[in-house]
Amino acid sequence: MARTYPSTSQSGEGIAAVPGRFARREFIRSLVGGSLLLPGLVSQLLAEADDPLSPKASHFPARAKRVIFIFSNGGVSHMDTFDHKPKLFAADGKTMGIGGGLSNQQRVLLKPGWEFRPGGKSGTLVSDLFPHLRECMDDVCLIRSMKSDDNEHYNATLGIHCGSFFFSRPSIGSWVSHGLGTLNQNLPSFVVLAAAMPYAGTQIFNNDFLPAYHQGVRVIPGKEPIANLDRRTAQSGVQEMELGLADAYNRRHLQARENDSDLAARIRTFETAFHMQTEAREVFDLAKESDSTLALYGTKRGQSDGFGWQCLVARRLAERGVRFIELVDGSSSNNWDQHGDMAEHAGHARNIDQPIAGLLRDLKQRGMLDDTLVVWTTEFGRTPGVDGTKGRGHHSACFSSWLAGAGVKGGLTYGATDEIGSTVVENKVHVHDFHATILHLLGMDHTRLTYRHGGRDYRLTDVHGNVVKDILA
Amino acid sequence: MNQLLLRTLSLFAFTGLVGSAAAEEARFFRGVVLNGPALTIDGNVWDGKDAKDFSATGKEFENQSVTLKPATDTARARMIRASRWGDKVDVTIANVPPAAYQVFLYVWEDTLSERFKLLVNDRVVVEEFHSGSAGMWKRLGPWPAESAGGTIKISARAASHGAANLSGVEIWRGSGAILAVRGAEFVSAPTAEQVAFFESKIRPVLVEQCYKCHSAQAEKIKGGLVLDSRAGVVKGGDTGAAIAPGDPDASLLIQAVRHLDENVAMPPKKKLPPEQIAALEEWVKMGAPDPRTDDTVAAVQAKTAIDWTKARKWWAFRPLAAPPAPEVKDAAWPANEVDRFILARIAAAGLEPSADAEARTFIRRATYDLTGLPPTPEEVEAFANESHGSHGSYEKLIDRLLASPAYGERWGRHWLDVVRYADTAGDNSDFPIPQMHKYRDWVIAALNRDLPYDQFVRAQIAGDLLPARTPEQIIATGYIANSRRFGSRVEDYPQHLTIEDTLDNFGRAFLGLTINCARCHDHKFDPITAQDYYALYGIFHSTRYPWPGIELEQKQRDFVPLVAPEKLAEAEAAKKDRDTELSKLEKEVQKLKDSLKNTADPEKKNVEAQIKDAEKAASDFKKKPLPYELAYAVADAKRTGDVPVQMKGDPAKPGEVVRRHFLTVLGGAELPPDDVSSGRLRLADWLLDPSNPLPARVMVNRIWQQHFGKGLVPTPNDFGKQGKPPTHPELLDWLATRFIAEGWSAKKMHRVIMLSHTYRLASTRDADALAKDPNNTLLAAFPRRRLDAESIRDTLLALGGALDRTPAGAHPFPPESDWKFTQHNPFKATYETNKRSVYLMTQRIQRHPYLAIFDGADPSTSTPARPASTTPLQALFLLNDPLVHEQSKCFAARLCAEAPDVVVRIQRAHALLFARPASEDEVIDAQGFLENVRAKTGDESEAWRAYVRVLFRLNEFVYID
Repeated sequence: MARTYPSTSQSGEGIAAVPGRFARREFIRSLVGGSLLLPGLVSQLLAEADDPLSPKASHFPARAKRVIFIFSNGGVSHMDTFDHKPKLFAADGKTMGIGGGLSNQQRVLLKPGWEFRPGGKSGTLVSDLFPHLRECMDDVCLIRSMKSDDNEHYNATLGIHCGSFFFSRPSIGSWVSHGLGTLNQNLPSFVVLAAAMPYAGTQIFNNDFLPAYHQGVRVIPGKEPIANLDRRTAQSGVQEMELGLADAYNRRHLQARENDSDLAARIRTFETAFHMQTEAREVFDLAKESDSTLALYGTKRGQSDGFGWQCLVARRLAERGVRFIELVDGSSSNNWDQHGDMAEHAGHARNIDQPIAGLLRDLKQRGMLDDTLVVWTTEFGRTPGVDGTKGRGHHSACFSSWLAGAGVKGGLTYGATDEIGSTVVENKVHVHDFHATILHLLGMDHTRLTYRHGGRDYRLTDVHGNVVKDILA
Repeated sequence: MNQLLLRTLSLFAFTGLVGSAAAEEARFFRGVVLNGPALTIDGNVWDGKDAKDFSATGKEFENQSVTLKPATDTARARMIRASRWGDKVDVTIANVPPAAYQVFLYVWEDTLSERFKLLVNDRVVVEEFHSGSAGMWKRLGPWPAESAGGTIKISARAASHGAANLSGVEIWRGSGAILAVRGAEFVSAPTAEQVAFFESKIRPVLVEQCYKCHSAQAEKIKGGLVLDSRAGVVKGGDTGAAIAPGDPDASLLIQAVRHLDENVAMPPKKKLPPEQIAALEEWVKMGAPDPRTDDTVAAVQAKTAIDWTKARKWWAFRPLAAPPAPEVKDAAWPANEVDRFILARIAAAGLEPSADAEARTFIRRATYDLTGLPPTPEEVEAFANESHGSHGSYEKLIDRLLASPAYGERWGRHWLDVVRYADTAGDNSDFPIPQMHKYRDWVIAALNRDLPYDQFVRAQIAGDLLPARTPEQIIATGYIANSRRFGSRVEDYPQHLTIEDTLDNFGRAFLGLTINCARCHDHKFDPITAQDYYALYGIFHSTRYPWPGIELEQKQRDFVPLVAPEKLAEAEAAKKDRDTELSKLEKEVQKLKDSLKNTADPEKKNVEAQIKDAEKAASDFKKKPLPYELAYAVADAKRTGDVPVQMKGDPAKPGEVVRRHFLTVLGGAELPPDDVSSGRLRLADWLLDPSNPLPARVMVNRIWQQHFGKGLVPTPNDFGKQGKPPTHPELLDWLATRFIAEGWSAKKMHRVIMLSHTYRLASTRDADALAKDPNNTLLAAFPRRRLDAESIRDTLLALGGALDRTPAGAHPFPPESDWKFTQHNPFKATYETNKRSVYLMTQRIQRHPYLAIFDGADPSTSTPARPASTTPLQALFLLNDPLVHEQSKCFAARLCAEAPDVVVRIQRAHALLFARPASEDEVIDAQGFLENVRAKTGDESEAWRAYVRVLFRLNEFVYID
């Protein structure tokens, strides 16, 4: 099997764990032995061009091999985090016009709640909400000119994931899986670490019309992170026996049916699933991580949830060749949507600041930041004007996102909003442009990554999108 | 140009209204900047906001940094970007001498589109204005107005959360023409100087910078605009006039070359040098003098117009042929005509059909096919014993299966796939629709009683308009009601997207056409114009869809009472009274709650008790059942009518109004002028007219597809150019003709297909067949295929003895009175049930976890064919899911209870799962396995459970031979 990191596990690793001679013999016969008896089968299947998950060549040389996509749900205020607006501090309480927000209801300006300070050698200004991340800004390319099309959470969340603001379409992770396949057949190609569901629910990681191989597999931090990952048979060895008998029956069935490749492919999925039980479990087991690594992410030994856990597991998935990893921060009912009091941004920021900074540092020290693209975004920004007495409204006209790692210029700040952060005035990056750029870094031309469905060729970027060339290293 | 024409026309209409045919030219009376200083606009001095004889309500607002669309001169822009806003804004101009006046109003949008009503002196002049996207502005009017008691009042009214932005009022005295409105004209006879100017400064720029995309010679004409002739310049493009003669600022072409808005920046890559822009501005100011005489517009139209005669020659549009079945050499092989079509092709390819399937294989195939469940061992043995190839035994079997209620459940599910059935609405909060299941149950029942397909279709499109108007026919229109809903808000409610969803499904389901591709422009591949699309759109725009609830308006409304036609008005009135009563009770609660704030302590308790009583009264009232049931169904809207084409699919950009009609390529029948209905009944007539070959072709193809895994047309929802042509066109037409001749009976069609020799073939193929026909297109063998999600789950439950075969009825949704769904806390539920899978509650925007893993239907769009992926997640499910383990436990217990002997049990398991006895090898393997597991676990029953789990995972279980 194709593996990127041979050090982690070999395909026969599970053998040693199987006690007893008989079980061992059965097991070998069913799995590895199966491959030996039919040496052509596994390799042939892997090589088959129509295996939807086998690694595929990119359109042109890729800068990034994989993506870690961090999504902060609810609408993170750009002028309180990454988009420094000195004039807005001065204009607090003034009623001069600013638009934006729901139904023209916000008209009185609200000053940002946190001071901004330069970070790294590049001196990129970041607010006190992100003191850890601020120190990583030399590796981060900050985009201050993002733009979305919709002021509703649901629609904007759908848009930033699927490139469509109303209709269900395949998620960006599914598109990447479809375009590039995966490097580890024992893990899903697209994994979503989400403690709770964000707006628009499962649609954000849905394969939609792409084949089911490309659906995002949700990992729920906690006891059984992936549904049905844990063996339900009480005693060890029984499942191996079961697979052994199934293999004998299936093989007879197959031979009487011209070695039908559909049947052979299905036999193989049981091999993969068997390995997933061990390998995926191993990914979520942080026992072998050092204390200093755990500290880097701000997570404690024995902890199996929290954003630090999510970030650390993301690194482990990346190491093992998973193509697209999404981290969901917040849920549809508990998130950055601070209409009432902007001060609540502090808690949400504290929750992710150190873990994300830890992830960037860890990837860097392991040399993985060179070919891993880390993306952070939200669905839209917030209004410069006040909502209620201390909050801010929804603002799709502009917001901030950032990219780090493979192929992007670290330390760069790109694009600008006007002096109060109400509209983009320089180098607008629409959601479609953002997607086109991510695909470009993965070696794919967004106009060529298409899928024929219902009589039409569909794209992640619909009929839009321009690669933001200025931010490419 | 169109706009200009409209304005002029409205002016004439107005002139006629006041009865003065030769009115004098109107004169500027007064302009007021509603939230800014005095300014000079169009050469007239306007008053500022502090002027006398002027007052306005609404809040003041100004944002001079918004880019206006279209761009305009500085003074006007300044006036526009400072406005008064609110859900109610009244502007009053006082001290107006008695006379006839004409009023203009400047409105704009600074952020998101709003909708509001406009009135002049309390008379509605615009029913619903869409403000458009940020920066858009309009000078609305002129509207006639008399001075009412010395004042003229202009008002805007928006829904409670909306807002109107009013910037300026401009009043002209007199009812005659307003020169500034009529504007300048295109120069028709340019002077020599103008020609020289055009030739030296304009033509070279147009040729070099624009012709590549905007001329008859362009490879692809962009935006429908050609600039290589005067006719093209005058006509403009898809988004309207390119030039307003004399007014560069108002000319789209000039705005584009100025690169003010990146969406209309031309040339897109590089801005023109300033002197060229200046020359174009000068040219527009002159009235765009243009000596060119060719009419490239006509040339382009001739080139791009659809040749309808040619278009109708596409295979799918051709009339149904009744081709005779071909003669075949082996006259003994065919069991019916179907086989002669199939065998002729097999023979022509130098192949032979495979042997017949064994009786046991056949009955498993046919039983799953028609019922989605396995045959019982008794059924298998009975059939195997009497069969021996006798035609009568096959007929008996098929008839028995067709008569089973499970048939409707199985084939109803196929139809629900096509019509993207869901039990929730699909808006941002995914509101439940507790009444939706009635449509599902109607589909199942209709198939079981073999309701002729034409009636099946007619009921779904126009059941409420049929003479009998039975409850079933009303429920059937749930097909239209079930169109997807969008968003969270009532203002800006995107009904156009819901109608689009209706049309998309209507085209695919009944016609096999992607008519939705004609929403933004004429269909790129098939002969369907945008006019055709909006002609059909008008029909559904004239239809009242039920309101399932949405975040900001949670109550159901416009559902249809299931009462006799003559009782309908009464029922609707009763419902209205009830709603009024309820709202009264709720208001009472609110009133008491409000009063509580101002109540002093001693009185508080008293008020609180009153609140409690009032709340109880409201909640008791809510719980009172209606005297009749409601259906999630449609009715004709109060106002019916034609709609304009939406340019680029944008409802804010209306084009010409089109009369409701059927697709031009299918005859284009028009709604008669005296028909005041929505037109749905006519639509059903047009669709099912004998001259339309598509409904029968599309439906027989779907039936064939479910029997053989693939349709004769492999793209069952797309018979157009982007789809795939039929592999056996003559057979398709033969089946379609027969389908109609036999009264559109689906059950008769099943019999024809399933009693063919072709359907009886074994699924094994020899090397020769694999080489010559790798995809088995010719059907020389039966195509092996995977069971669908529902069949797998239903079989697991059936074998474990848990399957509840009774119909399901309603889902256990929470009562409507408890609904508080939002996009933050959307409705989300999975209801466990032991009923058949067709009865699982299906959410529009959340996939059922099991169905998502096993390629269940996509609930957000039509699923013409289920994919059959084989993924590791499916394997994980079969390895570890509690459902599999629970049913294994039950099935194992059942085996052990039914027979004491190990071998008998093994045989019984094989018979139940695979409809065949186990071979000697299989029995030996099984015995060895049971022994080993028993030795390992010391648990006899665990050994049997493990054995059953093995069987549940086998290819032989999930594949049909």
